[in-house]
Amino acid sequence: MIEVLGVTKSFRGPGREVRAVDDASLHVGKGEFVLILGRSGSGKSTLLGLIAGLVRPTSGSVRIKGNDIGLLSDNSLAELRAREIGFVFQFSGLLPTLPALENVLVPTLLCRGGPGTRSRAREILARVGLTEREDAYPATLSSGEMKRVAIARALINGPSLLIADEPTGDLDVDTEYEIMDLFRQLNLEGMTIVMVTHNPDLACFATRLYVMDRGKLGLEPGPFPAKDREPGNAAAGAPDDE
Amino acid sequence: MSSRHEFHFPGLVFRNLVNRPYRTIVFVFSFALIAATLFSSQYLMSGARESLDEGVSRLGADILVVPEDYAAAGQSVMMTGEPNTFFFEDSGYRKISGLPGVARASPQIYIATLFASCCAAPVQMVAIDPETDFTVSVWLKENPGVTLGKNDIIIGSGVIQDTGRDLQFYGHTFHVVGQLARTGMGVDNSVFVRFEDAYVMAGESRQKAASALVIPRDRVSVVLVKTDPGRSAVSVADEIRRAVPGTRTIVREGLLDAVSGQLEALTRLLYGSTVAIAVVSVPLLGVISAMVTHERRREISLLRAIGAKKSFVARIVLAETLSLAVTGSLAGIGSAAVILAGFQDFIRISLEIPFTTPSAAAMIADGGIALLLPVAIGGISTLYPLLLVTRSEPYETIRRGEP
Ligand SMILES: Nc1ncnc2c1ncn2[C@@H]1O[C@H](COP(=O)(O)OP(=O)(O)OP(=O)(O)O)[C@@H](O)[C@H]1O
Ligand SMILES: [Mg+2]
Repeated sequence: MIEVLGVTKSFRGPGREVRAVDDASLHVGKGEFVLILGRSGSGKSTLLGLIAGLVRPTSGSVRIKGNDIGLLSDNSLAELRAREIGFVFQFSGLLPTLPALENVLVPTLLCRGGPGTRSRAREILARVGLTEREDAYPATLSSGEMKRVAIARALINGPSLLIADEPTGDLDVDTEYEIMDLFRQLNLEGMTIVMVTHNPDLACFATRLYVMDRGKLGLEPGPFPAKDREPGNAAAGAPDDE
Repeated sequence: MSSRHEFHFPGLVFRNLVNRPYRTIVFVFSFALIAATLFSSQYLMSGARESLDEGVSRLGADILVVPEDYAAAGQSVMMTGEPNTFFFEDSGYRKISGLPGVARASPQIYIATLFASCCAAPVQMVAIDPETDFTVSVWLKENPGVTLGKNDIIIGSGVIQDTGRDLQFYGHTFHVVGQLARTGMGVDNSVFVRFEDAYVMAGESRQKAASALVIPRDRVSVVLVKTDPGRSAVSVADEIRRAVPGTRTIVREGLLDAVSGQLEALTRLLYGSTVAIAVVSVPLLGVISAMVTHERRREISLLRAIGAKKSFVARIVLAETLSLAVTGSLAGIGSAAVILAGFQDFIRISLEIPFTTPSAAAMIADGGIALLLPVAIGGISTLYPLLLVTRSEPYETIRRGEP
């Protein structure tokens, strides 16, 4: 599904060069649930941008479904994103002039599949637990609610790949586990998921875990027995702050 | 039509317009102003041109022969019905009917009347020679059963009295037998009687009227001329001026020139304001577009990041501006049309031009032109936003939180 080979992304900072992603390689098979853990500034968001073709690598290559996305035209890349990838951005970003429900429907305008129906958007909003606020404008939503609208928007076109950058960052623990439960369900339905978090406790949901540290990506050795852990128990056993 | 249950592109555009009211209002207002001034200019030109064509062809004359010193006065009577009394110096005008190229010639006497109860403004009385007349007689032929007999009067559309009632001029009572259709020209403000009755009215005026009226025998005010088929009015007019000293001639082309001359000041003002408004609004709309687009960089980047092609974002920008341009223009054209229609008579009187409401076809053409300019200006104002779209760096813009 995803093949990242020796990708480096450096930014020209004041004075010296910043290597946000440093010679990272990553493999995600179809149907996997990959989690990337790392401290703030370690390059996680940049890596996700590279995977989705939103950031051009300084060196190395990214393949999605066998296509080297560095070779795709602007338009083909846009089409790939619209059709195959659902992206939940770290800073959710909704269109301020549209109510929640229509924000969810925007990606349906980008695919040849035709305009999506409101009833379908409503179903997805229900899955992220937001049935009441479908007519609310982003300015009146809490950040957690916005994030859930953004998740619903990422799912509306039924992508085969979901990329999520700290999708539960603004959520309380209960809602966080509801969302993680939804992700696990989507994963069981066949959706490939790559997710970034800095909450190590979510490692239990992953089929594969990477850790990022100052641009370097490392594979954490498995197994992850936590996959069968009950969300309720996990919430109860929330990690102590250290 | 978009179903209530689906979300379409126009829905997205509509939300963007409605939920950015500041830009929407400024744009719609500016476009309305531009379209309204442009439409008004076009409308006045069309109305004047049509009125003149209509009025001149109704008159049925190719040449109007007037006394040398009264060319301007004769023209005003014709065009706006501004009343005047004047006469040829002598009876040389009688030669006109015999000149080569002249098919018919008919003298008329112009008499300015005083304020009458019928009318808001003084009325021009035109006395015709029933023997030779070919203008009122055309109307009489179109209205079988009506004759212009002793003490009868036919009134222009602007004179308020019912057919069958009486009207008094210089103390003389006339019987209204008919009313002419509106032309927008001087005819509307005129009344038509026979020579004999005018002479009787003048004779009685010393006793009956507040001021006496003198109509010298054997003197007329103008001679209407119809040329032989195939003869050019201009060449026949030259002939008349040469053969009959002390005359001036007015031909249709000359009238058109005079009208456009009179309109020029106004249309220059209107076109000038259109240009001025356009010159001010292009940068204004450009700056607002740029500001809105700048403010929307995140939004544009977000759309691109979730898979919108540049062309899709460009379509949004264009659709929004064009919707505003079309809405604003239609509003501007509509209100201008309503105002112009309401002040129809005011326009005719204050501009001193022949004027009638333009035909539907002319109005559609005028409206089309008035729509085109705002659309073009709208197009120009999207250039910068479109440039931003093509240069957008989606992830760079949305990577961080709100600045
Ligand atoms: N466009 C850019 N220009 C300059 N530096 C950048 C740019 N994008 C990212 N960086 C730098 O690259 C590094 C990694 O950034 P990135 O946003 O990927 O981190 P992150 O792991 O997502 O952090 P966080 O958990 O806080 O979101 C940071 O030091 C950041 O300052
Ligand atoms: Mg990040």
